[in-house]
Amino acid sequence: MTCAELRRELPELLEGDPSAKLQAHLVGCGACSELVRNLETIIREARSLQACEEPSPRVWNSIEIALRQEGLIRQPEPKGRAAFVPSLARRWGVAAWLVPSAALVLVGAFLIVGRQPRVEQLPGAESRARVQVTSRVDVTDQQLLEQLALDAPLMKAAYEKELNNVNEYIRDAQNLVDENPNDEGARQSLMDAYGQKAVIYQLALDRSLP
Amino acid sequence: MTDRRQAKGEPSEAEAIAGAKQGDAEAFEFLYHLHKRRVYSLCLRMTANTAEAEDLTQEAFLQLFRKIGTFRGESAFSTWLHRMAVNVVLMHLRRKGLAVVSLDETPEGDEDAPKKDFGADDLTLSGSIDRLQLQAAVQRLPPGYRTIFVLHDVEGYEHNEIADLVGCSIGNSKSQLHKARMKLREFLKTSRAEKAGKP
Repeated sequence: MTCAELRRELPELLEGDPSAKLQAHLVGCGACSELVRNLETIIREARSLQACEEPSPRVWNSIEIALRQEGLIRQPEPKGRAAFVPSLARRWGVAAWLVPSAALVLVGAFLIVGRQPRVEQLPGAESRARVQVTSRVDVTDQQLLEQLALDAPLMKAAYEKELNNVNEYIRDAQNLVDENPNDEGARQSLMDAYGQKAVIYQLALDRSLP
Repeated sequence: MTDRRQAKGEPSEAEAIAGAKQGDAEAFEFLYHLHKRRVYSLCLRMTANTAEAEDLTQEAFLQLFRKIGTFRGESAFSTWLHRMAVNVVLMHLRRKGLAVVSLDETPEGDEDAPKKDFGADDLTLSGSIDRLQLQAAVQRLPPGYRTIFVLHDVEGYEHNEIADLVGCSIGNSKSQLHKARMKLREFLKTSRAEKAGKP
């Protein structure tokens, strides 16, 4: 076998077992045996290129936004909250849903009254304003709980727990909106969170029901 | 690997697929992180461009997630994803007008002619190859050679599968692969010679 003949058969040689003639040529020819060794090394090392690179975080961020926009991601349910409203609806019947929009107005009124006007648009001013809003909401919750402690002390602990849960839901939803201000799903999630808080207020304020 | 993950309380891939079918965000994210390196590396090898590779990775996963409801488990999930990623990249290369598979003969001439390194006193490409050098050499390959080399030697596709994917004959796939390997050898020897300071 000549060197030229070996090079013609090289693709097949590398894919399978070499013939005896070919092996005999390799034993006697340094250049061809070096060529075969080099190519075998390249083939062996090529596998190390598989799955060795990491994409930047922006790839997942873009995927997640697209999935939410296309409705392929279901909106997250607040922990322990999904069962709350339906169970109360079963207990209180229609009254559990008495004018939830009025309750929203009630909560909204507390927020608007408590919210400081934005003087600047700087990021620091925005975060300070948000902290102030959160503080006002907490103060309002405290006022509600203090009233409950007077009117229905046995229910205060339960409502306090539910308010903590829904406030956490609101904070999570707010963070999502902050990270993705153009995400309709995130804004809807925030509105749902406030809606649930409105229901809690309505139920707490209408304490004459069992 | 799967046992270690489950011992840590992480879901299995099958559980994540079921969750993703229900629209669970964490399930989607789990599947993404499980397979992102393989898909991205494939895209990067075939395009030799970081920005394009990230865009194609995003597109491949989005296509997968849109169709995940149709996945029945007849084949491995990773195989399904990988095939989808390959198709995404090949479509991209075709749209760019790049030859997915070169139909030309060896640019330098007759491959049966004596090679310039035949008996020449060049540095040998012995021992292991530096992975970074190999990456750089692959990026220098013409697109057609690069596609076949990446699909066969890096990703492990057989010639009949490559022929189906890129629309060429099995013989053409084998021929292009051989030329790609020879070209890589040439690049690596040149690179090693440059490193050693030889002219």
